[in-house]
Amino acid sequence: MAALASSSSSLLFSSPPSKLPSPSLPRLSFSTSSFLSSSSSSSSLSLSHSFNAYPISTRRYSASSFTVQASAADKKKVLIVNTNSGGHAVIGFYFAKELLASGHDVTIFTVGDEGSDKMKKPPFSRFSEIVSAGGKTVWGDPAEVGKVVAGATFDVVLDNNGKDLDTVRPVIDWAKSSGVKQFLFISSAGIYKPTDEPPHVEGDAVKADAGHVGVETYLAEVFSSWAVFRPQYMIGSGNNKDCEEWFFDRIVRNRPVPIPGSGMQLTNIAHVRDLSSMLTVAVEKPEAASGHIFNCVSDRAVTLDGMARLCAAAAGLPVEIVHYDPKAVGIDAKKAFPFRNMHFYAEPRAAKDILGWEGTTNLPEDLKERFEEYVKIGRDKKPMKFELDDKILESLKVPVAA
Amino acid sequence: MAKMVVLQQPTKQPSISLLPSSFSDFNGTKLCQIQYKRKVGKPKGALHVTASSTKKILIMGGTRFIGVFLSRLLVKEGHQVTLFTRGKAPITQQLPDESDSDYSDFKSQILHLKGDRKDFDFVKSSLSAEGYDVVYDINGREADEVEPILDALPNLEQFIYCSSAGVYLKSDLLPHCETDAVDPKSRHKGKLNTESLLESRGVNYTSIRPVYIYGPLNYNPVEEWFFHRLKAGRPIPIPNSGNQITQLGHVKDLATAFIKVLGNEKASKQVFNISGEKYVTFDGLAKACAKAGGFPEPEIVHYNPKDFDFGKKKAFPFRDQHFFASIEKAKHVLGWKPEFDLVEGLTDSYNLDFGRGTFRKEADFSTDDLILGKSLVLQA
Repeated sequence: MAALASSSSSLLFSSPPSKLPSPSLPRLSFSTSSFLSSSSSSSSLSLSHSFNAYPISTRRYSASSFTVQASAADKKKVLIVNTNSGGHAVIGFYFAKELLASGHDVTIFTVGDEGSDKMKKPPFSRFSEIVSAGGKTVWGDPAEVGKVVAGATFDVVLDNNGKDLDTVRPVIDWAKSSGVKQFLFISSAGIYKPTDEPPHVEGDAVKADAGHVGVETYLAEVFSSWAVFRPQYMIGSGNNKDCEEWFFDRIVRNRPVPIPGSGMQLTNIAHVRDLSSMLTVAVEKPEAASGHIFNCVSDRAVTLDGMARLCAAAAGLPVEIVHYDPKAVGIDAKKAFPFRNMHFYAEPRAAKDILGWEGTTNLPEDLKERFEEYVKIGRDKKPMKFELDDKILESLKVPVAA
Repeated sequence: MAKMVVLQQPTKQPSISLLPSSFSDFNGTKLCQIQYKRKVGKPKGALHVTASSTKKILIMGGTRFIGVFLSRLLVKEGHQVTLFTRGKAPITQQLPDESDSDYSDFKSQILHLKGDRKDFDFVKSSLSAEGYDVVYDINGREADEVEPILDALPNLEQFIYCSSAGVYLKSDLLPHCETDAVDPKSRHKGKLNTESLLESRGVNYTSIRPVYIYGPLNYNPVEEWFFHRLKAGRPIPIPNSGNQITQLGHVKDLATAFIKVLGNEKASKQVFNISGEKYVTFDGLAKACAKAGGFPEPEIVHYNPKDFDFGKKKAFPFRDQHFFASIEKAKHVLGWKPEFDLVEGLTDSYNLDFGRGTFRKEADFSTDDLILGKSLVLQA
């Protein structure tokens, strides 16, 4: 059998492993598989992207967040209406800073009074960072947004505050009448109906009576260029609500970590920089974003047990996980544990497909950074009570180290 | 010129192991193929084969499940397809929803190369005598099975391998993505070793990692396991919480993916997870199977597997853990996406297989009875 050189056919596939897809695509492709096996495989490949690859021991992610300086023509005037407390508060903080770094004009309007006690907590306590970057800060009642911003006009408004139509409608109506071109709304992935077939994907059924749904529906009726973002949980410096801290508190004190149910429940915990980058892409690609709903989450889910393990690994400490049935113990899991006691898992497919967004959350690495700050602010030494934990452990007869 | 010489290979005849000498003396086999013009009037639809010429394709295996659907797609595309099997199973079988004329068209075009792929010398000599442009390895388990193929075909355009998502290292962070760590100790390490071999040999390869495959003719009792119990009106015993998340991919969608990577530059030296769009909990899967077969909502019984000794028997067909993979890379890079959602796919499987009274494994409820006995659940 003649073995021909057939150079023509082999040329078809002579592209090197690092080849990226056609330049018109903003998103990355995974160019080669990387085998991170511990055996002495001679064929270990490296991701040959020009982007940062996180050199973690168990997996690599390709990072793609980059900021582009807005040209004068692209410069936007953005108003962020921000909640004054809760898990979402930090989103506005990161978003403001990212927009400012990209050269946009930013006003952050926090609900309530500048002098209130709430403003003593992060991220509000760090608003000087927004001001020094050239942003404006104002306070007031969102129902009177026009008055509060003293007649200023904006290209883009993000409402990161309201959970129902009563609260957001005045902002939407004012935005429309004052010529705002693009309206973004922070909704919640909590509105998805529970499903046997995770993940929650944009377009899946939502709970019709959820407050956020009323806002989403109204916004779509009234605004031509709108986008809705449905987040889950987030970590990041400046967070207003505890997330990973709940685990650190127990781990550093050598206390068992009580997790309701099997611990196999999946959740999604993103670094807030990913939420901010998604919002920023939407501002910079308004036509692409227009009319779409985006799950504003990281691209990996983690189990509840897994989160405990990752927190412990980040702290360099062991962890003892204890499972319990909240009903049997007679406690409200919502009070005893920071995450939903069920699969709560959305994926950011629309953001990847439509905006070309890529996540950079890397929990193993990000949690290390979080733990460093946790220790730096002295929270590991802070005296704490664990009443609910004790009740749970008592009922399970689990001993707690003195 | 449409096709090369196509041999009639009726299944009833004793299989000829090699093409007749006149054909293998056809010195220009490879030359001929390279000179093929672009095929005019490419069939419409999702199957875009970017390589222009008709290819001489070898499928290792191909008579049982994936290959049954894949070979049909390839033949429809106009390729010359040979199945390498020991000949223990019929080379072709008519599908329940396949017309007689479609089947006889297919049957008349498919070729058979009879042999044992573990006989490496035979593999090397027979393949080298034939010369193939592309090899689909659907049933390979170990790297040493692939070496003789590569040795025999130095000008191979593409080696397309059916690997497995089972190679991924178990993780707290999911879904599994192609860049994730793999487990050198997994039950599927042979697949991993094969992928490494392909990479190290510098051959143009594509590796497909399915999760759980389902669909008509499935020989792994995945949906069949549920259908047996539903039909018998029995409770479905599911280990632990039933909230473990798994993922099923329809065999026809997998076959389409295998076509998408053929001659596709973007698939060169790439790995792709291929499975369904959504994942499913164990409990959810039981309910979906019931829907697919028109059965009432099933009674699900949860149990702790540690309370039982099942001996060598498997009490449940899935790994007792979360196990699912992201198909986003295949969707973005190949433009492929699954056509079947879970209930649609299970319905397809039921209507064309179990629902017609066909299945691969007889029902065995012995482990169920152990579980149910201890749980004191009354059976219907």
